[in-house]
Amino acid sequence: MNGVQARRRRRGWLYIAPALLFVLLVVIVPFGQLIALSFSNQSLLGGGHFVGFDNYVKIWNDSAFWRALGFTLKYTLLLTPILMGLGYALALLTVDNTPLKKATRTIVFLPVVIGLGSSSLLWIWLFNEQVGLLNKALVDLHIIDAPIVWFISADVAFWAVAISVTWKVVGFGTVLFVAGIQSINSEILEAAVIDGAGYWARVWRIILPLTRRVLLLTTLISVIGSLLALDQFYIMTAGGPRGQTFTAVYWIYQNSFVAFKLGYGAALSVVLTAIIMALSALQIALSNRGKAE
Amino acid sequence: MTTKSLGGALALSLLAATAFTSVASADTLTMWVRASGTNAATNLVNLWNASHPDKIELTTIPDNQMVTKLATGVQAKDVPDLVSFDLIYMPDFMKAGFLTDLTAALKADPNYASVAKAYQDIATYDGKIYGAGFTPDVSILIWNKDLFKKAGLDPEKGPTSIGEIHDDAKKIRALGGDTYGFYFSGSCPGCNIFTGSPLMVAAGSKMLPANGKDEALTGDGVKAVLDAYKAMWTEGLVPKSAQADNGSDFVSQFKSGKIGIQGAGGFVIADFKKDVPNMNFGITFLPGMKDGQTSAFVGGDVVAVPVGSKHVDLAKAFISWELTDEAQIEGLAKNNILPSRPSLADNKYFKAEPKLITTAKALGVGYVPWVFHFNEMVNSDSSPWINMLQRAVFDGDVDGAIKEAREKMKAIAGE
Amino acid sequence: MSAAAIPAPAAARPARALSPTAYLVGAICVAVSALMAAPLVLSFLASIKTTADASAVPPSYLPQALSGESYMKVVNFQAGLATYVGNSALVAGITIVACLLLAAPAGYGLARFQFRGKEIAFLLLLAPIMIPYQALLTPLYLDFAKLGLANSHFGLALVHTVLQLPFSIYLMRSAFEAVPKEIEEAASMDGCSSWQSLLRVFLPLTFPGLVTVGLFAFINSWNEFLGALIFMNHETDFTVPIMIVSVRTGHLGAVDWGALQASVVISIVPCLAVYLLLQRYYISGLLAGAVK
Repeated sequence: MNGVQARRRRRGWLYIAPALLFVLLVVIVPFGQLIALSFSNQSLLGGGHFVGFDNYVKIWNDSAFWRALGFTLKYTLLLTPILMGLGYALALLTVDNTPLKKATRTIVFLPVVIGLGSSSLLWIWLFNEQVGLLNKALVDLHIIDAPIVWFISADVAFWAVAISVTWKVVGFGTVLFVAGIQSINSEILEAAVIDGAGYWARVWRIILPLTRRVLLLTTLISVIGSLLALDQFYIMTAGGPRGQTFTAVYWIYQNSFVAFKLGYGAALSVVLTAIIMALSALQIALSNRGKAE
Repeated sequence: MTTKSLGGALALSLLAATAFTSVASADTLTMWVRASGTNAATNLVNLWNASHPDKIELTTIPDNQMVTKLATGVQAKDVPDLVSFDLIYMPDFMKAGFLTDLTAALKADPNYASVAKAYQDIATYDGKIYGAGFTPDVSILIWNKDLFKKAGLDPEKGPTSIGEIHDDAKKIRALGGDTYGFYFSGSCPGCNIFTGSPLMVAAGSKMLPANGKDEALTGDGVKAVLDAYKAMWTEGLVPKSAQADNGSDFVSQFKSGKIGIQGAGGFVIADFKKDVPNMNFGITFLPGMKDGQTSAFVGGDVVAVPVGSKHVDLAKAFISWELTDEAQIEGLAKNNILPSRPSLADNKYFKAEPKLITTAKALGVGYVPWVFHFNEMVNSDSSPWINMLQRAVFDGDVDGAIKEAREKMKAIAGE
Repeated sequence: MSAAAIPAPAAARPARALSPTAYLVGAICVAVSALMAAPLVLSFLASIKTTADASAVPPSYLPQALSGESYMKVVNFQAGLATYVGNSALVAGITIVACLLLAAPAGYGLARFQFRGKEIAFLLLLAPIMIPYQALLTPLYLDFAKLGLANSHFGLALVHTVLQLPFSIYLMRSAFEAVPKEIEEAASMDGCSSWQSLLRVFLPLTFPGLVTVGLFAFINSWNEFLGALIFMNHETDFTVPIMIVSVRTGHLGAVDWGALQASVVISIVPCLAVYLLLQRYYISGLLAGAVK
């Protein structure tokens, strides 16, 4: 190790130091406090004392939490392929820089800039069987006979939420994928055309593999986002019917802020974070192994 | 270094500039109010500001964040001088020591003595008084007079028993089409504790347990009402969409003239006048099983002084002021809001609108549950209350639903 | 970096005649656009109805009568729309600056330097997105209160910054990684220190990446609700999302649908404007950012 390299190494640390310090102070410290909180039975209204691992033992037996977690996993597993698949398809559709395709890209991206709260309410309004236009449109188009009540069955409610979330976020993936596809060296593609490869062959053999990294990154972000879902269910289903659509974070919210059990909610948050970190590590490891091949 | 907004800096310098020219020391009090109580509170605050040098600044907090805001504010020692919030939180706040003891000021106040008993009860803990009724609301039964006439019922006579509600609803549903006899928001815990529980209380039940040893949902009233709701549901007297309504359409269908009878609150008087002035509707007390049994849910906001307020004396002065005749009549009654002193129900503004007099009288027959963890027991999306309603009415298992709710409520009360 | 279009069937070719496939693709684009835009168009139409009309059962597509009622409600709510917009803009502005100041050097360090523990540091910097941030808000608020940062737009912007930081750092890291090594070597041969290289060589080349970071920081800060509510105690300090929730809330959960639509339209407009203005930077920003 010579001096220049050592100096460069220190420089590297220096550049990331501000961000690291910032994250330490604004995230790691409060997270540490959250962990400390999880060992107490503190109430939102104050008061409480140290209870050791009691909360964690309670979590083990909290069937409502595991049900919520299971629902969250189901939501993530069903929604992610839809978001990624649709996003990629839309990217393939609009990747050229013609005016029409650029406009389509803009319109597809538009819902991304709305807040999730507003978007959820917008869709609840559309789905509302009393004042909503979606039902009216479906009836007017003779697709259905009578307005559907979208939120009395957990499955139908699930798909209602899925539709609204897809509308809102598919543009994010689309634009990322478009950027990825556009950066592929055109010579590679032209060579493939000359070799007689059809459009779909080009997509499958060249475009997909070469946009692997952006696909994996976007999938990871999407998965984490879905695992932490709250707003869309809070607003659209209120966890119903009969608590069947509570997500993990929603359940934490119910415990901490509705039942005032701040300590228990903190323990739930710690457990959920650990699960998400484990799942993310798994996802990264799997994608790295794939890359090495 | 903290950076306040530019507006804040400007305001500060303006304030400093005017300080030299203004009279004595005019203070500014801060007051938090929940979003759905804002309109009502604004009337009183504006009236106070117009006649007092010390001004009150209102800050609107979304309803379901009020508890969190107050709790974190108290812990961070950053609270407003006054706070107006849903009265069902009083027991929790009083027990947690969030509110300033107002006993000395209010016990001696003759105006306070004439406040509706329900408001006095909810604001008292351990013999001490911590707040006063502020912008009341109460639940009542409304019916569509035009639909009654069409169905061959006397439009001036509202139902006086649960059985009569059922019968009248049947006749109105017989009008066919998209006209229904009855409505309730099937996924809205708050709406149903507000409009459904008085039916149960009128029929002799006691609703919520005050502690772990207290009983929940006692008497026959609960079963009677749930049976009636279930019957009306299965007979198709209620629109299918009611099942998923979480309150966002609480009175939408009634306003569109499609519902015969439903429970609602005094707020509809002003609301309907504004949105559907041609609606012909009647108001009466929520009934029990037999004629003459009546009740109501006494709700709305109470006003209190958080511990840590920087203008305690001024805040107390405001509370004393809002209980005076002038404030109650010019601030509340004039704007179609109920005064918290039922003796003022016969005022000049209400004489023009008899519906308001009926509603104000409902304050006198109403109840308010004095329990801890009301949110968890009733209002939450996973509460035993809403689970009971949905299991009984939509799943059809009335007895099982009541039994389960009793156990869960007792457990929560024992926390 | 060549921004190449895929040799799509016929459409991109100079020939004037369009193949049937091109028509089909075009039709699909139009259909997709219509579907995606429909909810927003309907929302806008509902926002110009009267309040009663907006809550009418059954609903109508078009307004019976045009009315600015709902917009007036939103504009005049409590402290007035201008105040809320000003606050939101202030917080978003600070967030953008803080994100850039922290993410650019961090991305530079991660991309162009080798040091032990680098990947672990990177994971630590990504960790914030894995924590349910609602749970962090209460402890954070109490901490900030002790530091005098509660009730300040600066404090709130710090919270928004840390929520955006992981994505921003990832973007900047990828953007810096995309710059060819030759350019960096040329700069250091000219005697530039790493800092000078960053300022004079890298930042100009990764400008699109910076713009992308700024755009997303703006959008996410503009729409953030819970932190804004918890950290601010005065109506005059509130941001647009808080106003949106309060203006539509009625008794017992009733929703003023007209006010909802008007507030959605109002809150979209600035984000849309920023997006359209920055569109050309934005697309190529992601290009250099997330692709490699």
